[in-house]
Amino acid sequence: MAEITFDGVTKIFGDDIRAVDELSLHVDDGEFMVLVGPSGCGKTTALRMLAGLEDITSGSLSIGGTVVNNVLPKDRDVAMVFQNYALYPHMTVAQNMGFALKIRGQSKAEVAKKVGEAAAILRLTEYLDRRPKALSGGQRQRVAMGRAIVRSPQAFLMDEPLSNLDAQLRVEMRLEIARIQRLLGVATVYVTHDQIEAMTMGDRVAVMRGGRLQQCDTPQDLYDHPRNEFVAGFMGSPPMNLLRVGLEANADGIALVLGSQRLDVPTSYCSSHDLPTVDGPGVVFGIRPEDVEVLDASSSDSIMTRVERREALGAEILVHLSLVDAEGDNAVIVNDSGAFVARPTRLVAKMGPRSGVAVGDQIQVRLNREHFHFFDADSGLSLRRNQ
Amino acid sequence: MTTLMPPKRQRKIGRWILFGSMMVVAVIMLYPFWIMIITSLKSESQFLSGGGFSWLSWSTLTSVIPIGQEVLSSTIVCSSSILIILCVGLPAGFAFSKLRFRMSTVVFLVIVSAMMVPLQAILMPEFVNVTKLGLTGGYFGAILVYAALGTPFSVFLFSTYFRGVPDELIEAGIVDGLGYFGVTWRLIVPIAVPAIATVTVLQFIQIWDDLLVGLLFIQNTSERPITVGLAVLSAGRTTSIPALMAGSIVSAVPAMVVYLGFQRYLVKGLTMGIDR
Repeated sequence: MAEITFDGVTKIFGDDIRAVDELSLHVDDGEFMVLVGPSGCGKTTALRMLAGLEDITSGSLSIGGTVVNNVLPKDRDVAMVFQNYALYPHMTVAQNMGFALKIRGQSKAEVAKKVGEAAAILRLTEYLDRRPKALSGGQRQRVAMGRAIVRSPQAFLMDEPLSNLDAQLRVEMRLEIARIQRLLGVATVYVTHDQIEAMTMGDRVAVMRGGRLQQCDTPQDLYDHPRNEFVAGFMGSPPMNLLRVGLEANADGIALVLGSQRLDVPTSYCSSHDLPTVDGPGVVFGIRPEDVEVLDASSSDSIMTRVERREALGAEILVHLSLVDAEGDNAVIVNDSGAFVARPTRLVAKMGPRSGVAVGDQIQVRLNREHFHFFDADSGLSLRRNQ
Repeated sequence: MTTLMPPKRQRKIGRWILFGSMMVVAVIMLYPFWIMIITSLKSESQFLSGGGFSWLSWSTLTSVIPIGQEVLSSTIVCSSSILIILCVGLPAGFAFSKLRFRMSTVVFLVIVSAMMVPLQAILMPEFVNVTKLGLTGGYFGAILVYAALGTPFSVFLFSTYFRGVPDELIEAGIVDGLGYFGVTWRLIVPIAVPAIATVTVLQFIQIWDDLLVGLLFIQNTSERPITVGLAVLSAGRTTSIPALMAGSIVSAVPAMVVYLGFQRYLVKGLTMGIDR
């Protein structure tokens, strides 16, 4: 078992395609690190460099304190679980699991013992003589896991191992993989584009975009304190509402300009955030859907909205709201779709399943004043101090 | 008023029509074999008169030409050529489909385009080259020519086959501790059995049945293949048809055995890519 360190690792494909750009990341011994991000963000390339399947253009990558930039995959002592399992079709489950040990010249008895132990952990004992073709998707996934764990490697590398499973099985296997990882205590780097997997499985989550690391933190810290607009918009389903708004001075301090409406900003934000001056370029204001609350009557800290769409999900309803002016027309606020993150002018609110709102209703909503987020309108960086 | 036939009955009639058509095709295909067998079991006079049964043609065959030696020669030439074709075609197909290297597409197209060149067009230059190398006496010249003619097809077939093998499978082998040679030998070869069978059967039939290369490149009479032997048999002043039929049976049986033995893989190998 060992720790993993990416130190300024860059991967350039061809002449100028920077798949991974100056990635610096440390994975502790026994830690479950999730790399998450949209397609093409460089997460899989980073994992493949760690496995030795891609050359490193620059920077240094070490496993257990040893720089492995020029070490062959077979000598890195890492095990990898692939997206489509990559089981050897001509071998039985037992042969698949024991193959790496056989190559390393371990005795038949030793291989059988280790395969038996791994099969017991993965509940695969009764399938050991079957070929992969005769297994279900979940069983194949477990065999792929088994092939990794029999080796007792320094690190597990997993490349979207659950993406081929149906939703229910994915939930089961999510728990199973997390259980096995904690049981074995091996440093694990897990790549996914599914933020639910990232949030539920990882000790820490590294969010990537365009080859660059955006933020690496515990799942809750990522959710509560996103370092930039991208992370705020990526983590959470539905994502955080992000509105570009102006600032205006009022009697108590400052207020957000939402069309013709004004929303007071608690004074505590002036000390905890580097908010721009009131006549400056404005800020990007963020609020999570669960922090948008429907009110029965108007209040000083509420804003008027109109219901544009409702999506009933069973346990909750997602309500898409547009800001309205006093006359009931849609409010005009800045919609800068070409910015760091495309920002819609609508708000999404999570409401209870019995909520009676209908499309076209004008409703007052209160935004939870304790969970306001502010980002720089140009750079997208969080304006919170002491991050 | 018309009454519609029940679907079950329609299906049954359809099956009988199909079965009947297949029977007709089978009879047309098998009739020459039947005639060959029947004719080989007659003496020459019985063949001309129409009736009777005799093993005479078989004893004539073994006394006129060294049939055992010729079958052995054909086997040596065939198996050696196929071995070279497989040893070159399989790794080349793997490299063209899975490895990234400069000009790979161009090189692949050049190799595969060699499939389009007919044997007759290059026979004379090949003969000159092989003669200069001093290899026209025994097996070696013919083996080299057959291998050169069969390799482009095998490269094409293997590379098509390996394109269907997921890259992750190879990468899994590499992470598990194999090098490229290990991956080829321990993972790719077992997976490629249908493609190997397809190349083997198609090349076997082609080489086994070929007369021209054997006639030109194997000049030692003690090493000539069965097809040349049969040609000698039929080129005499008087040709014994029953003996020729007996020789044809000896010549046809190995090809049939190889075909039937590999048949289940052959279908899989030829249809690869269709169900992907």
